[in-house]
Amino acid sequence: MSSSVLICDDSNLARKQVLRSLPDSWEVDVQLAKHGVEALEVLNNSDIDVMFLDLTMPELDGVGVLEAIKQDDINVDVFVISADIQPEMQSKVLDLGAKAFLRKPVSPDVLLDTLKQHGIM
Amino acid sequence: MAYELNEDQQDCLQELINVAMGQASDQLARYLDTFVFLTVPNIELVNGHGLSSTLESNTDSTAVVSQGFFGYEGIRGEALLVYQHKDSDRIADLLGYEPGELSVEEQLIDISSILTTTFLNVFASQIENQMSYSAPKLLAHTQDTVSDYIKQVSFDWEMALKVNINYQVTDYSFNCEMILLIPAAAIENIKMVIDRILEDY
Repeated sequence: MSSSVLICDDSNLARKQVLRSLPDSWEVDVQLAKHGVEALEVLNNSDIDVMFLDLTMPELDGVGVLEAIKQDDINVDVFVISADIQPEMQSKVLDLGAKAFLRKPVSPDVLLDTLKQHGIM
Repeated sequence: MAYELNEDQQDCLQELINVAMGQASDQLARYLDTFVFLTVPNIELVNGHGLSSTLESNTDSTAVVSQGFFGYEGIRGEALLVYQHKDSDRIADLLGYEPGELSVEEQLIDISSILTTTFLNVFASQIENQMSYSAPKLLAHTQDTVSDYIKQVSFDWEMALKVNINYQVTDYSFNCEMILLIPAAAIENIKMVIDRILEDY
Protein backbone atom coordinates (compact mmCIF):
# COMPACT_ATOMS: atom_id res chain seq x y z
CA MET A 1 0.00 0.00 0.00
CA SER A 2 1.42 3.36 -0.99
CA SER A 3 1.88 6.32 1.34
CA SER A 4 0.44 9.71 0.53
CA VAL A 5 3.14 12.37 0.66
CA LEU A 6 2.90 16.15 0.49
CA ILE A 7 5.95 18.26 -0.39
CA CYS A 8 5.54 21.94 0.49
CA ASP A 9 8.16 24.42 -0.65
CA ASP A 10 7.93 27.72 -2.52
CA SER A 11 10.85 26.67 -4.72
CA ASN A 12 10.22 24.39 -7.67
CA LEU A 13 13.87 23.28 -7.52
CA ALA A 14 13.61 22.43 -3.83
CA ARG A 15 10.42 20.43 -4.40
CA LYS A 16 12.22 18.48 -7.13
CA GLN A 17 15.23 17.95 -4.83
CA VAL A 18 12.98 16.38 -2.19
CA LEU A 19 11.09 14.34 -4.77
CA ARG A 20 14.36 12.98 -6.13
CA SER A 21 15.61 12.15 -2.66
CA LEU A 22 12.65 9.93 -1.78
CA PRO A 23 13.76 6.30 -1.46
CA ASP A 24 13.15 4.26 -4.62
CA SER A 25 11.71 1.42 -2.58
CA TRP A 26 9.06 3.65 -1.03
CA GLU A 27 5.75 3.45 -2.85
CA VAL A 28 4.30 6.95 -2.70
CA ASP A 29 1.56 9.09 -4.08
CA VAL A 30 2.98 12.64 -4.07
CA GLN A 31 1.20 15.97 -3.97
CA LEU A 32 2.93 19.34 -4.13
CA ALA A 33 2.22 22.70 -2.50
CA LYS A 34 3.91 26.05 -3.17
CA HIS A 35 3.24 27.62 0.23
CA GLY A 36 1.56 27.03 3.55
CA VAL A 37 -1.93 28.03 2.45
CA GLU A 38 -1.86 25.47 -0.37
CA ALA A 39 -0.48 22.86 1.99
CA LEU A 40 -3.32 23.35 4.47
CA GLU A 41 -5.85 23.08 1.63
CA VAL A 42 -4.36 19.72 0.65
CA LEU A 43 -4.23 18.55 4.28
CA ASN A 44 -7.86 19.53 4.81
CA ASN A 45 -9.03 17.75 1.66
CA SER A 46 -6.94 14.57 1.57
CA ASP A 47 -5.43 12.07 3.92
CA ILE A 48 -1.72 12.78 3.92
CA ASP A 49 0.60 10.39 5.75
CA VAL A 50 3.86 12.31 5.49
CA MET A 51 4.62 15.95 4.76
CA PHE A 52 8.00 17.48 3.92
CA LEU A 53 7.75 21.13 4.88
CA ASP A 54 9.91 24.17 4.13
CA LEU A 55 9.89 27.08 6.60
CA THR A 56 10.66 30.36 4.81
CA MET A 57 7.77 30.76 2.37
CA PRO A 58 5.38 33.49 1.23
CA GLU A 59 1.65 33.50 2.12
CA LEU A 60 2.02 31.22 5.14
CA ASP A 61 5.36 29.96 6.40
CA GLY A 62 6.22 26.52 7.76
CA VAL A 63 5.83 27.55 11.40
CA GLY A 64 2.31 28.78 10.58
CA VAL A 65 1.53 25.42 8.96
CA LEU A 66 2.76 23.51 12.01
CA GLU A 67 0.68 25.73 14.30
CA ALA A 68 -2.41 25.12 12.17
CA ILE A 69 -1.80 21.36 12.14
CA LYS A 70 -1.52 21.38 15.92
CA GLN A 71 -4.56 23.58 16.40
CA ASP A 72 -6.75 21.56 14.01
CA ASP A 73 -5.35 18.26 15.29
CA ILE A 74 -4.45 17.05 11.79
CA ASN A 75 -2.87 13.61 11.79
CA VAL A 76 0.26 13.83 9.63
CA ASP A 77 3.96 13.12 10.16
CA VAL A 78 5.80 16.33 9.35
CA PHE A 79 9.49 16.48 8.45
CA VAL A 80 10.82 20.01 8.18
CA ILE A 81 13.41 20.57 5.43
CA SER A 82 14.76 24.07 5.72
CA ALA A 83 17.76 26.33 5.20
CA ASP A 84 16.94 28.14 8.45
CA ILE A 85 19.23 25.97 10.54
CA GLN A 86 19.36 28.07 13.72
CA PRO A 87 19.14 25.82 16.80
CA GLU A 88 16.25 27.91 18.14
CA MET A 89 14.27 27.32 14.98
CA GLN A 90 15.02 23.58 15.05
CA SER A 91 13.74 23.37 18.65
CA LYS A 92 10.70 25.44 17.80
CA VAL A 93 9.52 23.18 14.97
CA LEU A 94 10.11 20.05 17.04
CA ASP A 95 8.09 21.60 19.89
CA LEU A 96 5.32 22.28 17.39
CA GLY A 97 5.17 18.60 16.53
CA ALA A 98 7.55 18.08 13.61
CA LYS A 99 9.13 14.62 13.67
CA ALA A 100 12.55 15.84 12.58
CA PHE A 101 14.47 18.77 11.15
CA LEU A 102 16.60 18.25 8.05
CA ARG A 103 18.84 20.92 6.62
CA LYS A 104 18.71 21.94 2.97
CA PRO A 105 19.69 20.71 0.51
CA VAL A 106 18.50 17.29 1.68
CA SER A 107 20.34 14.18 0.51
CA PRO A 108 18.74 10.79 -0.24
CA ASP A 109 20.85 9.08 2.46
CA VAL A 110 19.87 11.50 5.19
CA LEU A 111 16.22 11.33 4.19
CA LEU A 112 16.23 7.53 4.17
CA ASP A 113 17.92 7.37 7.59
CA THR A 114 15.42 9.83 9.02
CA LEU A 115 12.43 7.95 7.64
CA LYS A 116 13.83 4.70 9.05
CA GLN A 117 14.42 6.30 12.45
CA HIS A 118 10.76 7.23 12.59
CA GLY A 119 9.52 3.84 11.45
CA ILE A 120 8.19 5.10 8.16
CA MET A 121 10.45 2.92 6.02
CA MET B 1 15.49 41.77 -21.93
CA ALA B 2 18.62 39.69 -22.50
CA TYR B 3 19.75 39.73 -18.87
CA GLU B 4 16.41 38.75 -17.45
CA LEU B 5 16.23 35.40 -15.69
CA ASN B 6 13.43 33.09 -16.74
CA GLU B 7 11.12 31.60 -14.11
CA ASP B 8 13.22 28.46 -13.57
CA GLN B 9 16.48 30.40 -13.36
CA GLN B 10 14.97 32.85 -10.87
CA ASP B 11 13.60 29.96 -8.79
CA CYS B 12 16.95 28.19 -8.79
CA LEU B 13 18.87 31.34 -7.83
CA GLN B 14 16.37 32.06 -5.08
CA GLU B 15 16.83 28.59 -3.61
CA LEU B 16 20.64 28.88 -3.72
CA ILE B 17 20.33 32.23 -1.95
CA ASN B 18 17.88 30.77 0.55
CA VAL B 19 20.35 28.08 1.63
CA ALA B 20 23.23 30.58 1.87
CA MET B 21 21.05 33.03 3.79
CA GLY B 22 20.10 30.31 6.26
CA GLN B 23 23.71 29.56 7.10
CA ALA B 24 24.68 33.24 7.31
CA SER B 25 21.80 33.91 9.69
CA ASP B 26 22.86 30.93 11.81
CA GLN B 27 26.33 32.48 12.09
CA LEU B 28 24.82 35.85 12.97
CA ALA B 29 22.55 34.24 15.56
CA ARG B 30 25.51 32.48 17.19
CA TYR B 31 27.60 35.65 17.08
CA LEU B 32 24.86 37.68 18.76
CA ASP B 33 23.51 34.80 20.85
CA THR B 34 20.00 35.44 19.66
CA PHE B 35 17.49 34.45 16.99
CA VAL B 36 17.45 35.91 13.48
CA PHE B 37 14.13 36.14 11.68
CA LEU B 38 14.33 35.40 7.96
CA THR B 39 12.07 36.50 5.15
CA VAL B 40 11.96 35.42 1.51
CA PRO B 41 14.80 37.19 -0.36
CA ASN B 42 13.93 39.56 -3.18
CA ILE B 43 15.66 39.36 -6.57
CA GLU B 44 15.24 42.00 -9.25
CA LEU B 45 16.96 43.28 -12.34
CA VAL B 46 17.71 47.01 -12.25
CA ASN B 47 19.38 49.34 -14.73
CA GLY B 48 22.37 51.49 -13.79
CA HIS B 49 20.28 54.59 -13.18
CA GLY B 50 17.61 52.69 -11.28
CA LEU B 51 20.31 51.10 -9.18
CA SER B 52 21.55 54.40 -7.81
CA SER B 53 18.08 55.74 -7.15
CA THR B 54 16.93 52.49 -5.53
CA LEU B 55 19.89 52.53 -3.20
CA GLU B 56 19.51 56.21 -2.41
CA SER B 57 16.05 55.50 -1.06
CA ASN B 58 17.59 52.81 1.15
CA THR B 59 20.53 54.78 2.39
CA ASP B 60 18.83 57.53 4.34
CA SER B 61 20.55 57.72 7.74
CA THR B 62 22.43 54.47 7.38
CA ALA B 63 25.85 53.02 7.77
CA VAL B 64 26.92 50.91 4.82
CA VAL B 65 29.73 48.37 4.63
CA SER B 66 30.72 47.32 1.13
CA GLN B 67 32.79 44.32 0.07
CA GLY B 68 33.57 43.11 -3.43
CA PHE B 69 33.53 39.42 -4.29
CA PHE B 70 35.12 37.53 -7.16
CA GLY B 71 34.70 33.89 -8.12
CA TYR B 72 35.68 31.63 -10.99
CA GLU B 73 33.81 31.74 -14.28
CA GLY B 74 33.41 35.52 -14.15
CA ILE B 75 31.08 35.55 -11.19
CA ARG B 76 31.56 38.78 -9.29
CA GLY B 77 29.75 41.60 -7.59
CA GLU B 78 29.50 43.87 -4.62
CA ALA B 79 27.87 43.05 -1.28
CA LEU B 80 26.47 45.95 0.71
CA LEU B 81 25.42 45.64 4.34
CA VAL B 82 23.04 48.45 5.21
CA TYR B 83 22.37 49.38 8.84
CA GLN B 84 20.06 51.97 10.30
CA HIS B 85 21.91 54.43 12.51
CA LYS B 86 19.93 53.45 15.58
CA ASP B 87 21.15 49.90 15.04
CA SER B 88 24.76 50.70 14.31
CA ASP B 89 24.95 52.77 17.49
CA ARG B 90 23.70 49.80 19.52
CA ILE B 91 25.91 47.21 17.93
CA ALA B 92 28.51 47.22 20.72
CA ASP B 93 25.78 46.14 23.18
CA LEU B 94 24.68 43.39 20.83
CA LEU B 95 28.20 42.11 20.35
CA GLY B 96 29.01 42.33 24.03
CA TYR B 97 31.95 44.71 23.65
CA GLU B 98 33.10 46.92 26.49
CA PRO B 99 32.90 50.65 25.80
CA GLY B 100 35.98 51.68 23.81
CA GLU B 101 37.09 48.10 23.13
CA LEU B 102 36.43 48.44 19.41
CA SER B 103 35.16 51.41 17.46
CA VAL B 104 31.64 51.22 16.01
CA GLU B 105 33.24 51.21 12.57
CA GLU B 106 35.38 48.17 13.42
CA GLN B 107 32.37 46.37 14.88
CA LEU B 108 30.29 47.03 11.78
CA ILE B 109 33.07 45.77 9.56
CA ASP B 110 33.43 42.66 11.76
CA ILE B 111 29.80 41.67 11.62
CA SER B 112 29.46 42.55 7.94
CA SER B 113 32.43 40.46 7.01
CA ILE B 114 31.00 37.43 8.84
CA LEU B 115 27.64 37.80 7.11
CA THR B 116 29.05 38.45 3.65
CA THR B 117 31.70 35.75 3.61
CA THR B 118 29.49 33.08 5.22
CA PHE B 119 26.70 33.83 2.78
CA LEU B 120 28.93 33.91 -0.29
CA ASN B 121 31.04 30.91 0.68
CA VAL B 122 27.90 28.78 1.03
CA PHE B 123 26.50 30.21 -2.18
CA ALA B 124 29.78 29.47 -3.98
CA SER B 125 30.04 25.91 -2.66
CA GLN B 126 26.58 25.13 -4.02
CA ILE B 127 27.65 26.17 -7.51
CA GLU B 128 31.06 24.49 -7.11
CA ASN B 129 32.83 27.81 -7.13
CA GLN B 130 35.11 29.68 -4.74
CA MET B 131 35.04 33.33 -3.80
CA SER B 132 37.76 35.78 -2.94
CA TYR B 133 36.98 39.12 -1.38
CA SER B 134 38.21 42.68 -1.31
CA ALA B 135 38.68 44.27 2.09
CA PRO B 136 35.37 45.39 3.58
CA LYS B 137 34.98 49.13 3.55
CA LEU B 138 32.75 51.26 5.75
CA LEU B 139 31.26 54.05 3.70
CA ALA B 140 30.82 57.42 5.29
CA HIS B 141 27.42 58.09 6.78
CA THR B 142 26.09 60.69 4.39
CA GLN B 143 23.64 59.76 1.71
CA ASP B 144 25.67 61.52 -0.98
CA THR B 145 28.78 59.49 -0.20
CA VAL B 146 26.94 56.19 -0.40
CA SER B 147 25.26 57.20 -3.61
CA ASP B 148 28.58 58.37 -5.09
CA TYR B 149 30.27 55.14 -4.07
CA ILE B 150 27.54 53.08 -5.69
CA LYS B 151 27.91 55.08 -8.86
CA GLN B 152 31.65 54.53 -8.70
CA VAL B 153 31.46 50.74 -8.31
CA SER B 154 28.61 50.50 -10.76
CA PHE B 155 29.76 53.06 -13.32
CA ASP B 156 30.12 50.49 -16.07
CA TRP B 157 27.13 48.43 -15.05
CA GLU B 158 24.40 49.03 -17.60
CA MET B 159 22.31 46.49 -15.75
CA ALA B 160 22.61 44.70 -12.42
CA LEU B 161 20.94 41.88 -10.60
CA LYS B 162 19.97 43.12 -7.16
CA VAL B 163 19.32 40.68 -4.34
CA ASN B 164 17.88 41.96 -1.06
CA ILE B 165 18.14 39.85 2.07
CA ASN B 166 16.82 41.03 5.39
CA TYR B 167 18.28 39.84 8.69
CA GLN B 168 16.05 40.80 11.60
CA VAL B 169 17.38 40.15 15.08
CA THR B 170 14.16 39.79 16.98
CA ASP B 171 15.42 40.23 20.55
CA TYR B 172 16.95 43.62 19.84
CA SER B 173 14.83 45.05 16.99
CA PHE B 174 18.10 45.10 15.07
CA ASN B 175 17.76 45.11 11.32
CA CYS B 176 20.44 44.61 8.73
CA GLU B 177 19.86 44.46 5.00
CA MET B 178 22.27 42.69 2.69
CA ILE B 179 22.18 43.92 -0.89
CA LEU B 180 24.10 41.96 -3.48
CA LEU B 181 24.78 43.70 -6.76
CA ILE B 182 25.80 41.55 -9.68
CA PRO B 183 26.83 43.40 -12.85
CA ALA B 184 25.55 42.58 -16.32
CA ALA B 185 28.56 40.56 -17.47
CA ALA B 186 28.40 38.41 -14.36
CA ILE B 187 24.64 37.85 -14.77
CA GLU B 188 25.32 36.00 -18.00
CA ASN B 189 27.86 33.82 -16.17
CA ILE B 190 25.49 33.14 -13.29
CA LYS B 191 22.78 32.18 -15.77
CA MET B 192 25.14 29.63 -17.35
CA VAL B 193 25.89 28.11 -13.93
CA ILE B 194 22.19 28.02 -13.05
CA ASP B 195 21.37 26.36 -16.37
CA ARG B 196 23.91 23.65 -15.58
CA ILE B 197 22.17 22.98 -12.25
CA LEU B 198 18.76 22.98 -13.90
CA GLU B 199 19.91 20.46 -16.53
CA ASP B 200 20.25 17.96 -13.69
CA TYR B 201 16.56 18.33 -12.91
